[in-house]
Parts: sequence; structure tokens; C-alpha cells
Amino acid sequence: MKKHIKSIISLTIICAVMAVALALTNSVTAPLIEKNQAAAANEALLVVMPDGGDFTAVDLTKYTLPETVTEAFTASNGGCVIKLTTKGYGPNMVVMCGVDANGVVTGAVCLSSNETLGVEKTYGDTAKGAAIDTIDDVATVSGATMTTGAYKNAIKDALNTAIILGGGTADIRTEEEILADNLNAALEAGEGKFTEIFISEKLENVSAIYEAENGAGFVYVTTVSEEEIFVGVDADGVVVSEVADDVKANIEANAKIMLGVTLKEVDLSKYANMPKQIDKAYKTSNGNYVIELHTAGYGINGDKYSSSGEYIYIKVALTDKGEIINCQTVKQSETDGVGSICADKEFSTQYIGKDENTYMDVDTVTGVTLTTKGYRNGIGKAIEAVKIMEGGA
Amino acid sequence: MSKQNNMSILIKGLLRENPVFVLILGTCPTLATTTTVDGALGMGLATMAVLICSNIVISLLRKFIPDTVRIPCYIVVIAGFVTVVQMLIQAFIPDLYETLGVYLALITVNCIILGRAEMFAGKNSVGKSALDGIGMGLGFTLALFAMSTIREVLGAGTFMGNEIPFLVENGLTISLLVKAPGGLMVYGLLIALVNKITKGKLIKKKEFSCEGCPSASSCHGGCSAEKEDK
Repeated sequence: MKKHIKSIISLTIICAVMAVALALTNSVTAPLIEKNQAAAANEALLVVMPDGGDFTAVDLTKYTLPETVTEAFTASNGGCVIKLTTKGYGPNMVVMCGVDANGVVTGAVCLSSNETLGVEKTYGDTAKGAAIDTIDDVATVSGATMTTGAYKNAIKDALNTAIILGGGTADIRTEEEILADNLNAALEAGEGKFTEIFISEKLENVSAIYEAENGAGFVYVTTVSEEEIFVGVDADGVVVSEVADDVKANIEANAKIMLGVTLKEVDLSKYANMPKQIDKAYKTSNGNYVIELHTAGYGINGDKYSSSGEYIYIKVALTDKGEIINCQTVKQSETDGVGSICADKEFSTQYIGKDENTYMDVDTVTGVTLTTKGYRNGIGKAIEAVKIMEGGA
Repeated sequence: MSKQNNMSILIKGLLRENPVFVLILGTCPTLATTTTVDGALGMGLATMAVLICSNIVISLLRKFIPDTVRIPCYIVVIAGFVTVVQMLIQAFIPDLYETLGVYLALITVNCIILGRAEMFAGKNSVGKSALDGIGMGLGFTLALFAMSTIREVLGAGTFMGNEIPFLVENGLTISLLVKAPGGLMVYGLLIALVNKITKGKLIKKKEFSCEGCPSASSCHGGCSAEKEDK
């Protein structure tokens, strides 16, 4: 027993003495370590703002900033450096952007990302010198629009943040919030609840239609002088928003077409050679077709261990001549951040206006070949189905 | 103890009982930190500092520490010194701290340090233990320096970060040497070289006998005598 007590006391004393030694060392080194770490952090910030001098962290809780902003530092030269986390093809693309006292981008770098093409490594250089009123002119990279678009939006958020930190005001709404605000403004009777409807007819200068869930009417999105405007239409097809007479006439004409449309399902069993990808087909009262189909992308043809085993489901509206009026991805389980681009409106609407001879002009995307090629095959099958239903094949 | 003996304690770590090439101890940091000469010297000197301090303290406390808890006590002392060295390097040489990374903290479990505490410092006077720490630390540092010089010069075409134009311009570098397999190859070749220079006397003599045990110098064959008694 005495032996054990001696052992315990010895070990305890040694531990205590070492703890004191560590505490003493820590009291000497801790301020120096903190200073070193601050200098290292400062050096990292200088990458995007070489004339920044010393940086001070900003308490973000004091401001209402874009959701992408994770950290902000004010520089001794009056500028600021903002760290943002955004979503490109993949999640968590971390961007650091420097904005000088005049609101001009001094530099932007991507600190980490999960993108597939790697363009984010150099894209920041193209935004150097941009300001809030010129950032929209910075081009995105063709074939990498998701990545560079998100990157550009992050820089825009940084520029807006710089304005807010400088005591100004900026529009920091997200795209969804802007859309919701525009829909509400166009049709207040819709009470803020709208659903996008699938356009099955050829309309003049209409890019989207939203239906009020309470039946109060519709909002038509049209373009006037390269600017999107939202026009409210009541349940009877009468424009309720204040717009120019020509716009009003055009929207009411389009509304008349859409209100009068009825869809009749086509009995596919009548066509022996109908492609097996076609799930359902409808003929509209104007003689157009709406086809629902499934096609094999990466989910079916990809690596068996990483693919989902699911098809891509597409809805396509076509004229009786096989010209594509509208195209929408209904459901997909492609690889998140890669093949999932097929769910983006920018991707599916590339096929609008294409026909039997031109749909192959839509290029497949490098690195996403199985998905994009499969999608294009699906579109080809829809055109083939129309040809069959029209008795041309 | 005569002067001769003190000198012998000091120099035995350099070659005769070199911890890296003869006793084959501390292999992990040896392979990991010898890709650059700077890193290797940093690791060698940090280990030497811990070795000297822990040897001195353990020798001072050898009569105070009960035999049953000697290993935990040694570990506490060693870990304490490693943390002190780690904090000092982080504060005063932050670049070296970044280079050594996790291997700095892993000095705690370096067999050389615990081995010398157990074999030597726990049984000898403070002065001799300090000399043993210096000798073993120097031996470890020199071994790391030799290995890292070969790996950095022939592997990356640089020495202490300075480019050697002749090697780089003529494409005479062997990049495998700065990778893990290259480290093992250089390690093996240097052990072979030491064996060749000493005509195998250092290793052969110890290899299969009681003397092959790292504790042999302090135990003087005691364990085999014990075995025979049983």
C-alpha cells in the first residue's frame, strides 16, 4: 500500500511540475504565436489586396450581408477583403475577394472547391478591376457557366458587402428572392404563391409563365429592351400590370393561346415502332405535342458503384413538325454537382428551337458526357416519336 | 568515471551506437523529415534538445521515481519537454514548425528518447546522462543530415532550398528519392554503407546475441544471467 501511495505521489508531483513548466513556457510563447498567426493570416489576405496593409476582422453580426459571406476584414488602406462560400457545380467553393476603397475588385482567388473543370483557379483574374456597375460585363466561361457564374455572383456579393461595410446600401437579395418579389409585384392577388407552368405552345416573346396557386391568374415573363419584365394576367387572360400597349397586346394574345389549350393523351400502343423511352404523349388543341420520356444518362450507363441506377425524366413540347417549343428536366438522379447540370434551366432550354436536323448541334459537356449525350438521345427520341405520330415514320 | 569514459559516452552515438544506422531507432521521423535538409536539421536539433533535457531530468529524479511507475514518469517528462520545444519553435521559428508538422509532436514517442531514458539516464549520473543525450542527439542529427542531403540533392536538385543548376538543367534528379520508397532505399543503402565501413563489426557482433539488445550497454548481460538462474 505504502509503495502504491509513493508511486501515486511521485507521478502526481512530476505531472504538476511539468504542468507548471508548460504554463510558464506558454505564457512566454502564446503572445508570439498569436502574433505569428495574425501575420500569416494577414499575408494570406494580401494575396487579393497587395496594398492592404494591416487587416481587422469585421463582426458580421452587426450587418445584414449576402448569405455567401463567411468572413470580412477591413484593410488599413480603406478597402476590405471578403471570404465567401458559394455553390458552383459542386458544393463549397470558397472565394476570397479584395475590394478597394473605391469599390473596385483588387483581386479574387478560389481557396478551395469541388469543381470538375478547374476554371475557378484562374477565373478570379478576369474580375480584377470590376466594380458593382461593371461586374455583369465580366464574361463567364463557356462550358463552365455554373462554376464561373457562381464565382461571378460571389464577387458581386463581395462588392455589395464592401458597399454595406462602407455604410452604403446594396441589393443583396438572392435570385429566388428577386423572383418572388417580381411575381408578387406583378400579381398581388396571387398572395405570393406561384408555380411555374410548362409552356406547350409557341408563344411570342414569353420565357416563362407562373400560375397563382389560388387561381387568381398568371404572371408572364417577357423581354423588353433586353430586360426581363413580369406581367400580371388575371384568370380571364386580361393584363393587370401597367405595361406599354404593345406589350399588353402581345401578352394578352399569348394568354389567349394558353387559356384555350387542352391536352389529349395519345394512345401509344397504336404505334408499334414507338421508341421505348417514350412514357406518355399528349396532343394539344393547337396540334402540338407534349412528350414525357425517360433516357439513360450516367445513372444507367455510368460506373456501377457510383451511379444511381435511375433514368433522367424529361418533358418536351414540340410542334407537329418536330420543332422543340419547350424542354424541361422533370426528375434526375445524376451525380450531384456533375451530371446534375441537366436539371438546370440553362441546360434544358438549349434545345428550344431545335429540330430533327439541328438538335445534334447542342454539344455534350466535357466531363459530363454520359449525362449530356443521354439527354440529347432522349430529345432525339421525342422528335422521332412526333414523326411517328404524324405518320412520317 | 575517467575523461576517456566521458568521451566514449559522448562519441558512441555518432557511429558505434548511432541510433539511426546501428540501433535502427526513430525510423518514422527519419524517413518522414529527411526530404529536405532544413527539415532534417530542425527535427534532429529539436530531438537533441528534448533528449538532453529529458536525460538530465530523468537522471536527477532516478532515485525519486519508483520503479513501478518509471515508464509513465519518463513519458510525462518527455512529453512535457516536447511540448515546450514545440511551443518555442512555433513562437520563434514558425516556418520550421510548419515544415515539421505532426512529426514535432511525435518526438514524444520517438524510441530513441524513451530508450535512452530507460537504458541510460535512469541508471547514470546527471553529467553522463547529459553527455549521452548530446552524443545520441548529435548522432541522430548527423544521420538525418546525411540522409536528407542525399535525398534533397539527388531527389530535388536543391540543397537547403538552393537550386543546384547543374543537376536541374541536365535532368539528373531522381524524384523517387524524395518520396517514401526513395527514403527507404536511401536508409537501407546507408545502413549497408555503415556496415561495409565497419566491416560488419558493429551490427554483426550485436545482431543475434544478448549484446544485440539495445539495453545491452547498461544491462551487461544481466538478463541472460537471470534466465540461466531460472
